[in-house]
Amino acid sequence: PAFAHEQLVTIVAGHPPVFRWVKHASQTFIPAVQAALEGSEHGLKFSEQYGGALAGVGEELEATEEGLAEIGLVSSLFDPSKLAIQNVTYVTPFVSADTAKISSMMDRLQAEDPRMRASWEAVNLEYLGCAIGIDDYLLMTDFPVERLADLEGRKIGAPGPAVNWLKGTGAVGVSGNLTTYYNEIKSGVYDGVIVFASAALPGKLHEVAPYITRMGFGGQYAGGLAANKDWYDAQGIAVKAALKDACTAYSEAYHADLDAAVAKAFEVMQGAGATVTDADAEMRAAWAAGMENNALEWAARLDAQGQAGSEILSLYMDAMREAGATPVRDWDKE
Amino acid sequence: MSPFEIGLLSLLAMAGLVMAGLFVPVALMLCSYIGVWALKGSPLLAGKLLALAANDAISSYFFGVVPLFVLMGFITAEAGLGRDAFAVAHHAFRRLRGGLGLATIGANAAFAAVTGISIASAAVFARLATPEMTSRGYTARFAAGVVAGSSVLGMLIPPSLLLILYALLTEQSVGDLFLAGVLPGLLLAALFGGVVITLAAVAPNFIGEGAQVREEEGPSPSALELFSLGAPIVLLIGAVLGGIYGGLFTPIEAGAVGCLAAAAIGLAKRRLTLAGVWRVLTETGLVTASICFLLIAAQMYSRMLALSGVPAEFGGWVATAEMAPIWIVLAYCTLVITLGAILDSSSIMLILVPLMLPVATGLGLDLVWFGIVTVIAVEIGLLTPPFGISVYVVKSTLGPEGPPLGEIFAGAAPFALAMLVALGLVITFPFLATALI
Amino acid sequence: MSEAPSPDPHLAPLPGELPLSSPGFAAVDRTVGGVCAALNVLGTLLILGLAVLVNVDVIGRAAFGAPVSGVPEIVSLSIVAIVFLQAAQAARAGRFIRSDALLRALARRAPRAAAWLDALWHAAALALIWIVAQASWPLFLKAWDRDEFVGAVGDFTAPVWPVKAVLLVGCGALMAQFALGLVRAVAAGLRRAP
Ligand code: NA
Ligand code: NA
Repeated sequence: PAFAHEQLVTIVAGHPPVFRWVKHASQTFIPAVQAALEGSEHGLKFSEQYGGALAGVGEELEATEEGLAEIGLVSSLFDPSKLAIQNVTYVTPFVSADTAKISSMMDRLQAEDPRMRASWEAVNLEYLGCAIGIDDYLLMTDFPVERLADLEGRKIGAPGPAVNWLKGTGAVGVSGNLTTYYNEIKSGVYDGVIVFASAALPGKLHEVAPYITRMGFGGQYAGGLAANKDWYDAQGIAVKAALKDACTAYSEAYHADLDAAVAKAFEVMQGAGATVTDADAEMRAAWAAGMENNALEWAARLDAQGQAGSEILSLYMDAMREAGATPVRDWDKE
Repeated sequence: MSPFEIGLLSLLAMAGLVMAGLFVPVALMLCSYIGVWALKGSPLLAGKLLALAANDAISSYFFGVVPLFVLMGFITAEAGLGRDAFAVAHHAFRRLRGGLGLATIGANAAFAAVTGISIASAAVFARLATPEMTSRGYTARFAAGVVAGSSVLGMLIPPSLLLILYALLTEQSVGDLFLAGVLPGLLLAALFGGVVITLAAVAPNFIGEGAQVREEEGPSPSALELFSLGAPIVLLIGAVLGGIYGGLFTPIEAGAVGCLAAAAIGLAKRRLTLAGVWRVLTETGLVTASICFLLIAAQMYSRMLALSGVPAEFGGWVATAEMAPIWIVLAYCTLVITLGAILDSSSIMLILVPLMLPVATGLGLDLVWFGIVTVIAVEIGLLTPPFGISVYVVKSTLGPEGPPLGEIFAGAAPFALAMLVALGLVITFPFLATALI
Repeated sequence: MSEAPSPDPHLAPLPGELPLSSPGFAAVDRTVGGVCAALNVLGTLLILGLAVLVNVDVIGRAAFGAPVSGVPEIVSLSIVAIVFLQAAQAARAGRFIRSDALLRALARRAPRAAAWLDALWHAAALALIWIVAQASWPLFLKAWDRDEFVGAVGDFTAPVWPVKAVLLVGCGALMAQFALGLVRAVAAGLRRAP
């Protein structure tokens, strides 16, 4: 179809397209935008720059902010300083294992809440949606975990923000990188890791850490799609609507795909001899109770910067409780 | 001009500027700046791309430990452990033509089991091996070329940064890929040995006096002397490997621990002075700076090229070609090797592997094997002009006193050919990659 | 090899490296050299610091179950600082990679043309480092204004601005170094044939 005006739009992601959230940017978001614009005057042609070809993981925000890309799959998880309040889920574990619910909640809050919108505008971005939900984080170890005391002195690799979850458990949290978990556990540098199922299977982590404990850390929000504000503001209503509506399609497809992948991951890992156990309520409560309340420290730091950290913390926790989640610990009420 | 034409033109400009004597990193930056300006129509954006790359391109844990691996090698050299080891090798291989070339390859294979990045191998052996060889009559061209050539083992024999990158790009298991790299790595080391022996026989002038079998000068060292010369380096490598596989530290941390171990051995042997340590620290800094600056500039260039769409376009041709699987693989390798002349290893993989992944999956190719094929093809680019990072590292380590760049490229060329042979063998006999998994 | 080594044609100074007998220039050269050397020492100390830090982390983790927080983040930041602290000294020591075959061939036949070509290359280097520096300045300001950090709150955080500042300082020293080369090459280009 020929458009009267067709503009080239660069979309950037630090992760490669094998990552589900990038795959659906390419296979769901872009086609949905183009379908919505079909027959209209303005067309968008996408130059897809993934896997660090233009910007690496954690660099997407600045590349989009500065205008090198018009749209970026921005990972708040890897940019905890510029998108600090978006990391609210990582300071509040044990809230919900329902990733789709967390994602839609975060998308809704960021669309509606002026304080969250302001944090995007401060970095010259317009949040489009397309929340990247991460499935329930698990504890995978090379030893069985029946009670909290089993973790005493064990070295557990975890992504940066999740190292805090290990404080107070007796385990030694080590900040690690998903790509090297396998070798680190195999050689014995780590005795286990905190990781999510949809990444554990491709990394074959169950081969070296066959004891999988669903501890209840919960699903997480890791980022979403954002557009350069100057560029976005210059677009017509049709383009703006097409972009935001495409994120609805993205969210549905992404989470359906994610749920299927998680189910398959458990099936395959169990089939390969891994032991999957659900931590009982007592152990979860003991774990959560033993943790430092990192959320309060996080909120206080943001409050000091004038970013309404405490309010966002309550906003998120209230919203999740209203949506039916039963947090093991009410981080906001201490 | 279309973006594609701008990209193509930048390839020519880059090669031309480098040959005309512009500093290589500056040539890359210049092409990148003008390229982005032309592509996006804004010098402001072009400047921003340069600045973001300067700030972020090498800011990673994996890259950050490179100087520590280099330092480990330099301390080893400063403590004379390398010289001792080469004295042993010289004695052991005295009846073999090009013996020290073989020793360098063997030592590089051993060091490859410690480090995950070829840059470190190239810097370390340019300092350890090249002077030992030239002082024993090997040509500077060969002494530098064999170091550049055998440095590629660093990223084929596990641990390997490129295999980790491939695993990330394709969701393959790093454990499987590391195992898959072992046999091809050893095969490549053997082929490199074959190159040295062949050169010594058919082109002795290429190697110099080292191609001759020489009678021992002076009294032959005793077994005890040989042991005391060789033991420290074996102890060092053994300690580091033992620590990695014993779960005491990660391969990323191995360089730092190796520094400590090398310094301890050097101090115990009273061969290391504070002044000496400071000297190698400074030297490490200079090598790190010149190479990392080059890598930053290479990232600027490859980001510009990604924006132009040139690699994606070429990749698209290969990916959509109606050809038998073997021809697609060969076309892919050709493309990788061609881009390898101009781009750095990780950039090629970042751009091409995601494009080829659906094709490889569709053809039912073994993705672990495909990873090894990719890494060997990518690594050929480390040795080919105008942008051959292993050759640059050797040059930068030897400094202005070393042989000219062209000589090192020439010295490394036979090893690049051996890599082509290894690539052909791994493509023909996939079990070389898959047997150990 | 008993005889004295013959002068190696590829070791002759390039136009941008030719000595310049002007007291003013020598003073500037000494100053730039001092700055480069000082930055170099800082970078060297940083490498030493990294080696110590990683070993403390390894030993702390393996022997005492007490790893050091933030090592990956510190290493990632430090490498950028190390490179920009040492870059000028590396350039001064002739470690910036270039293929000088054509320049040298030209210098033998037409020394002044070679000098002007080398002057052009030094000017290009100067211009591009300037572009990087001036485009990095706003990045530094942002990092400063927004208190940008790496790490995770509650575990380990480190501010980003010092590294961005080092990058600017390093670019400054590099520009000074390339400017010296430019002056040398231009002087060689203006010099009458002997
Ligand atoms: Na290796
Ligand atoms: Na090359």
